[in-house]
Amino acid sequence: MNKQPMSLLINGETCAAEVEPGRSLLDLLREDFGLTGTKVNCLEAECGVCTVLVDGMAVNSCSTLALQCRGKSVTTIEGLSRDGHLHPLQAAFIEHGAVQCGYCIPGMIMNAKALLDEEPDPDEATIRAALAGTLCRCTGYQKIVDAVAAAARQMRAPAHQAKMAAGAGGA
Amino acid sequence: MSARNFRVAGQRLPRMDGIGKVTGKHVYAADFTLAGMLFGKILRSTRAHALIRRLDTSRAAAMPGVRAVITAADIPAVRFGQAVRDTTVFALDRVLFMGHPIAAVAAVSLEIAVQALAAIDVDYEDLPAVFDMEAALKSAVLVHPEWATYKALPIIARSGNISGRARIKAGDVEAAFAGAHRVYEHRFTTALQHPGYTEPRAAVADWDANGNVTVWTGTQLPFDTQNTLAEILDLPSSRVRVIVPGIGGGFGGKLRIGVEHFAALLARKTARPVRVITTSEEELTHSYPRQATVVTLKTGVDRDGHLLARQGRIVLDCGAYAGSGPATAAIALQVLAGPYKTAALALESFAVYTNKGTSGSFRGPAGPMANFAVESQMDMIAADLGLDPLEIRLRNIVHEGDRGPSGEVLRAVSIEECLRRAAAAIGWDDRKPAPGRGKGIACGWWMTTGGSSGVYVKINPDGSATLVSGAVEIGTGAITGASQILAEELSLDLADISVTGVDTQAAPYDYGAQGSRTAFSVGNACLAAAADLRRQMFAIAAAQLDAPVEAMVLRDKHVVAGDKSISIAEVARISRLSGGGLIAHGTAISPSPAYDPGRLENHPLPAWNTPSFHAHAVDLSVDPDTGTVDIHRYVVAQDVGFAINPTYIEGQIEGGVAQGIGQALSEEIVYQDGKVMNANLTDYKMPTALDVPDIESILVECASVAGPYGAKGVGEPPCIEPPAAIANAIAAATGFWLPSLPMTAEKIARELRARRK
Repeated sequence: MNKQPMSLLINGETCAAEVEPGRSLLDLLREDFGLTGTKVNCLEAECGVCTVLVDGMAVNSCSTLALQCRGKSVTTIEGLSRDGHLHPLQAAFIEHGAVQCGYCIPGMIMNAKALLDEEPDPDEATIRAALAGTLCRCTGYQKIVDAVAAAARQMRAPAHQAKMAAGAGGA
Repeated sequence: MSARNFRVAGQRLPRMDGIGKVTGKHVYAADFTLAGMLFGKILRSTRAHALIRRLDTSRAAAMPGVRAVITAADIPAVRFGQAVRDTTVFALDRVLFMGHPIAAVAAVSLEIAVQALAAIDVDYEDLPAVFDMEAALKSAVLVHPEWATYKALPIIARSGNISGRARIKAGDVEAAFAGAHRVYEHRFTTALQHPGYTEPRAAVADWDANGNVTVWTGTQLPFDTQNTLAEILDLPSSRVRVIVPGIGGGFGGKLRIGVEHFAALLARKTARPVRVITTSEEELTHSYPRQATVVTLKTGVDRDGHLLARQGRIVLDCGAYAGSGPATAAIALQVLAGPYKTAALALESFAVYTNKGTSGSFRGPAGPMANFAVESQMDMIAADLGLDPLEIRLRNIVHEGDRGPSGEVLRAVSIEECLRRAAAAIGWDDRKPAPGRGKGIACGWWMTTGGSSGVYVKINPDGSATLVSGAVEIGTGAITGASQILAEELSLDLADISVTGVDTQAAPYDYGAQGSRTAFSVGNACLAAAADLRRQMFAIAAAQLDAPVEAMVLRDKHVVAGDKSISIAEVARISRLSGGGLIAHGTAISPSPAYDPGRLENHPLPAWNTPSFHAHAVDLSVDPDTGTVDIHRYVVAQDVGFAINPTYIEGQIEGGVAQGIGQALSEEIVYQDGKVMNANLTDYKMPTALDVPDIESILVECASVAGPYGAKGVGEPPCIEPPAAIANAIAAATGFWLPSLPMTAEKIARELRARRK
């Protein structure tokens, strides 16, 4: 059915695919590349569990066409930890008890990463506004907000900045 | 108990499944894929109550890519159900609600399956329907005209549209009302609330060459699902294997069979693996939401506000099938009594059929609905008598050794401490700090559900332990908590414990992730297994160390006898060579308290095991123009018996309160003439990160007799009190109570305007 060739960067790797015009980025990631860390739920851009980064912007992958991502850079939850080292956000989510069932967590973390990439020192209201597009039914959000604030502090710390400059660990 | 010097239990240790969940590696049912897998979809009724005049699947079946279409005619004629066996997989000759499954399709892609649904022809003939639960009590329209032919649990009393009626009676309410200083009568309504798990219900089924089926599914009750599947498939249950890879929330909405049977039936028909996942629209039209209820309360008090008598009635809307309605309605009776001493009680529950989607047992089933009524009315009475809301509660609460509503003796009673600490934390002395601002309080009690748990625990030759359990880690951290207990008892670290996945074929029985029981019950089973393992290890060590067993203890991963010791790892290696390895089967069953059967009629859960007590206090403002509620602070004082892992108990409290805030202020599945009007997550309004305040948790530890290290059930209680606490704070801010959930800004603004005139 009218498949079109495309290539894109997924977590830093060049990937080629043949894609029908109506397919979502979510479907492409999960079914063609086995990246099931990006979760599926409402498919109507209402719950946010499918959030990924496209050229650094947080998007609902369920409502983004795969072909719109031609030539772009997509980052999923699988792209955050490198060489067995958790990204500071991932470590903070565990440390602060922000994870319960875990199903919304990849989307939450990708949302939080987009926020911290743009605003390294957000206040609580900014964090809450940034996360409001992703529903969590387990946690009441409190420990998630705490985790994002803690990760932001750690990522601003000189040690982390030096590590990033050296190109080691964490996307 | 908490004074004991624990190394692992009671510590804020990170959960065992955390890394998998933050890296996206944790596999959930919706992620599960098999080679050659087909995609299943369900055709659902577009009428609320109608005869199926014609059902023609031939066009759909002939479509390229469609591998099977099945209807009621293609499967065993079976009725299943928990309390009442009234449920069928597909509608038979009649649809009972909009969304009722009529047929299922398996196709090579989801798109083709969806197209095939549109190619199934159904002709309906509409029938008179009944949508209002109170009307259904007396309606000539019967949802199940053949109700009398259904099998049901013997305890359940049924009649017509009533799928279950239960009573608790004590003393003489009429005489008490006659002698009362005042008698108050109020009516409250509560709405349908979706559990709101973020992972849709999902299942993959596959049959092997010998006619056994394996189902990978996100269920809270793998063994119940196994049995129900066996009934539907007309197989011995040993030929049905249920595996729970991971589960994205449940909150009671994934207790009973959801899509597993569709996957299994389609897979049998096609001889291919089949995956079925629900859509948001299906979730909001046909899942297991918290039932809507109507509660009426008549309460008599003396001059000082002491409760003398209470007559209460809850009518609970089950929808088209009874589901967990009869038990849920009966549980409400204990909540209607509250944690209060009332000499005369006449409490009655009705679970009622209507032509709507079947409801279920969402977290603390019936708790918030009945508590909303009781605790709102307590404040109304206090206001009328000129009493402080805290004071009227303190005058009526139960104390150690008092009797509960079923005549049971209450132990480890902590309601006074919970009330006083919540009130102190919220600053109760200044209850109306500004115009339009007010503080509210509500308290309650809840059970730790019984049901048994078994575990196998194996000691590995490296000295670590493997916990094999049929209990589902639904997200609460319960399995991490149980593992902390196991590690504590074996002198290991939490990192030394690993847990296998849930597999009904391999794991011992567990009653399931329900009723605030997993950490409690699996924890107790771990205690039993650890005791057995200590016996086994000490017997081996006795020969090695030449020391008496009586002198032995486990310390720092060693069996120690005086100045001699041997590592657990070494003992495990010796056991492998000599005795097949170290393995123990630990079991636990929660003890049922003695009660007075004369007080109860047709009650399937007559007396509560290991009750917990809790109080919530909230400080909020109400916008005088829009009616919008802004919560400034929210405090919970909850008796957890012993805090096995305080971090995840706080998580339960914070998440439960968030759900309660949703129920209180915004969440309602809106039905109009049998049709759900808001079947999407924009119009069904769950709280976002912007809607939930920080929750302040006070963990009260009044040790229970039956729980591990004194623990009590934790998971359900936090969602019980929020609607009442918020209603009472709104009343403090505005001067009026809204007796109807959700208390939306629209309802509040309407009342504010009416009072301004």
